[in-house]
Amino acid sequence: MSKIAEAFKNKKAFIPFITCGDPDLETTKKIVHELEDNGADLIELGIPFSDPTAEGPVIQGANIRALSNGITTDDIFEMVKELRETVKVPMVFMTYANVVFSYGMDKFFDRCKEVGIDGVILPDVPFEEKDEFEGSALERGVDFISMIAPTSEGRIAMIAKKAKGFIYIVSSLGVTGTRDTISGDIGSMVAKIRENTDVPCAVGFGISTPEQAAKMASVSDGAIVGSAIVRVIEKYGKDAPKHVGAFVKEMKMATSA
Amino acid sequence: MAVIKLCGLSRDEDIKKANELKPDYIGFVFYDKSIRNVTREQARHLKGLLNKDIKSVGVFVDEDEAKVRELFNEGVIDVAQLHGHEDNDYIGRLQADRIPVIKAFKVTDQNSVEAAKGSKADMIMFDTGKGSGISFDWNLIKGFNKPFFLAGGLDPDNVGCAIEAVKPFGVDVSSGIETDSKKDVKKMELFVENAREVKIKMPKAVVEPDGKCANKVESSEDAVKSGDCGRNVEAIMNPGDCGNGRFGIHGGQYIPETLMNAVLELEKAYNHYKNDPEFNSELTDLFNDYAGRPSMLYYAEKMSKDLGGAKIYLKREDLNHTGSHKINNVLGQALLAKKMGKTRLIAETGAGQHGVATATAAALLGMECVVFMGEEDTKRQALNVYRMRLLGAEVVPVTTGTATLKDAVSECMREWTKRIDDTHYCLGSVMGPHPFPTIVRDFQSVISKEIKSQILEKEGRLPSAVIACVGGGSNAMGSFYNFIEDKDVRLIGCEAAGRGIDTFETAATVNTGKLGIFHGMKSYFCQDKYGQIAPVYSISAGLDYPGIGPEHAHLHDIGRAEYVPVTDVEAVEAFEYLSRTEGIIPAIESAHAVAYARKLAPTMSKDDIIVITISGRGDKDCAAIARYRGEDIHE
Repeated sequence: MSKIAEAFKNKKAFIPFITCGDPDLETTKKIVHELEDNGADLIELGIPFSDPTAEGPVIQGANIRALSNGITTDDIFEMVKELRETVKVPMVFMTYANVVFSYGMDKFFDRCKEVGIDGVILPDVPFEEKDEFEGSALERGVDFISMIAPTSEGRIAMIAKKAKGFIYIVSSLGVTGTRDTISGDIGSMVAKIRENTDVPCAVGFGISTPEQAAKMASVSDGAIVGSAIVRVIEKYGKDAPKHVGAFVKEMKMATSA
Repeated sequence: MAVIKLCGLSRDEDIKKANELKPDYIGFVFYDKSIRNVTREQARHLKGLLNKDIKSVGVFVDEDEAKVRELFNEGVIDVAQLHGHEDNDYIGRLQADRIPVIKAFKVTDQNSVEAAKGSKADMIMFDTGKGSGISFDWNLIKGFNKPFFLAGGLDPDNVGCAIEAVKPFGVDVSSGIETDSKKDVKKMELFVENAREVKIKMPKAVVEPDGKCANKVESSEDAVKSGDCGRNVEAIMNPGDCGNGRFGIHGGQYIPETLMNAVLELEKAYNHYKNDPEFNSELTDLFNDYAGRPSMLYYAEKMSKDLGGAKIYLKREDLNHTGSHKINNVLGQALLAKKMGKTRLIAETGAGQHGVATATAAALLGMECVVFMGEEDTKRQALNVYRMRLLGAEVVPVTTGTATLKDAVSECMREWTKRIDDTHYCLGSVMGPHPFPTIVRDFQSVISKEIKSQILEKEGRLPSAVIACVGGGSNAMGSFYNFIEDKDVRLIGCEAAGRGIDTFETAATVNTGKLGIFHGMKSYFCQDKYGQIAPVYSISAGLDYPGIGPEHAHLHDIGRAEYVPVTDVEAVEAFEYLSRTEGIIPAIESAHAVAYARKLAPTMSKDDIIVITISGRGDKDCAAIARYRGEDIHE
């Protein structure tokens, strides 16, 4: 069983997202430990990109803060390598196609394997373009995570059948960011996915309260929370780790309740 | 027609015959275990004998990269063909030095074909191995999703059948044109002749599993349909779009899953309406009666005399309604969106020309319109902001990133993911995810269609060069498109070099960028070593974009079009020059094309003709140029 699959074994997974280097890599490391200590089952690490077209203002801001600190992809690989000495939960990268492409596909996934990254999420690489990335990733035991959106409809079966690791269900139209209401009909999306694969599926985009997390996890295999955590980091800066820890603890309890 | 590569040439007489037959490529084998191996010195000598229209390909097996690079830099080879264990990193490093790469894959079973899909090479070659001359099961690669060369076991007898059945981009032959391990001139001749005879979309020959040709002939229908590329096989042969919206290696659909059904729906609708007589007649009426087409082709006599070389014609897109070429694309897309049942248009704009055009079409067709414009540009082009509002559009200033065109595009993409049902993203250039580069190019190709018939009427011959400015590249693509097949017409795109291509303040993508993936497409982008998109600069808000359309990137790769940098200083001088010489104030974007023509025309003879596309008019730029010259004017 892959490490990612284990994260979902016999439980609803709670999956936090943070942008590496926001506000700096030392704080990111502390936050990752807080995430694990407070029950994160899988951690999404964002490699910042100059023009993150799938992100709302909150995560765009985190990307800009990290890049203005001069954070590079290599710095992040080094950080993950250090983290892996103690962190046990699976970690996946979330970034954009050009970050991976410009690094060199094989080189990027070599380093993922070397430092212990279990999967990669590229929101600007849909099913039609994924072969170019997935071949290289799979050869090195890194899962290429597929996304399914409320507009996917007839595409769900095709995507689900080839999915690896877990499926990222995009809860609503639009970009990342907190929302009062989640518009997509998650239940029927999950049902369609289930007809085609046993790969677990987690819901993200717009989840910011324990109630929303509980609701999303109840109809799927887990909840992904990004912007709500990044907002805490934005607010507290270097003091963020303990605040993030407290927030995640609450979200985790709601998810697994 | 498939392109032809004659491989393993090693003697003077081989080259002499090739010069006669004019294949597209010939190959030198740099592999000492091969009987066709040539030394560096031999290759240098042979290349010297070779006709310059024929490209030379160096064939390597796990060669030291430095040697490949040296041969390329010396001009001995134009392309590297790799037959060993070279991975994507190896290929990427060669590509970073602008060396086009063909990667050969041995075809044994379906898995080996799958492996080829992940390759970054500019072109794939499917082969049985290192010149063993045994053909593989061609059925395995029918409908492969990228253009490829077919190699291994081809000879004068089977090449025609192979091209019909497999529809490769090109065919490669070595042992099939030899007798006693030496190139045989008769066989070379026959091979080229038979390969050229085949016209694609001819009745399909049935291929037996062993790759031999049976004599049965079936209807052409599923030959054309088979495979992703089948959609437009002719276009692949000509530099054009392959299945999945690829132009060579460029293009594609790198967008969030949320938008995938929207672009697929758009593609379907476009493929339907582009052949619909009613749609085309409505669009033609709008072009002619509303936008003022055809635009004039004006002989710039004073300018021609002043520069003292080629005869210069100006294609007057500046005289279109709304003042630029942008209206051509916008009327097409707005009409298409309306037919699709959309009620709302969103658009990005740089200089404001595309925004104004979109707002105009929305007003005309009774649609809602929101235009995203970098905050920086709303200041540079305040007049256009007012025009858009006057036309009933909402203008949203974009404050993220560098607050210029690229950020407006990003914000438009974000907006589209929020609201898809009733909204069409009216993209303004030959960029973004498939099918936009194709759609925009098709609507803009009216420019070159008109230039061609107008110049033939006036001069009875084609121009020596067509020059246009390039940001994303829509007026240039429109100006080039109908001349791509006319190989004697030079196609020249003028990029905004800003303060110079050796500074960071430039937007010259082809001259300073590298291959990347951004805004839905693979193409060239200005970026740093980690793939972060560069904050580009040009005095012209319309050319101030870090990427270039994928079809331009491909035309650059195959050497069909040239992309030259033009600085702010040169553009401003040309802006003033054309105003004073011809009484035509061009847009500062178009002034980049004028600037290069000023350099080129004097080097040409009086028999040469240059056509410059004046993509827009310069009223919008007057205040900014005045400021540039230290004069503050108030309107």
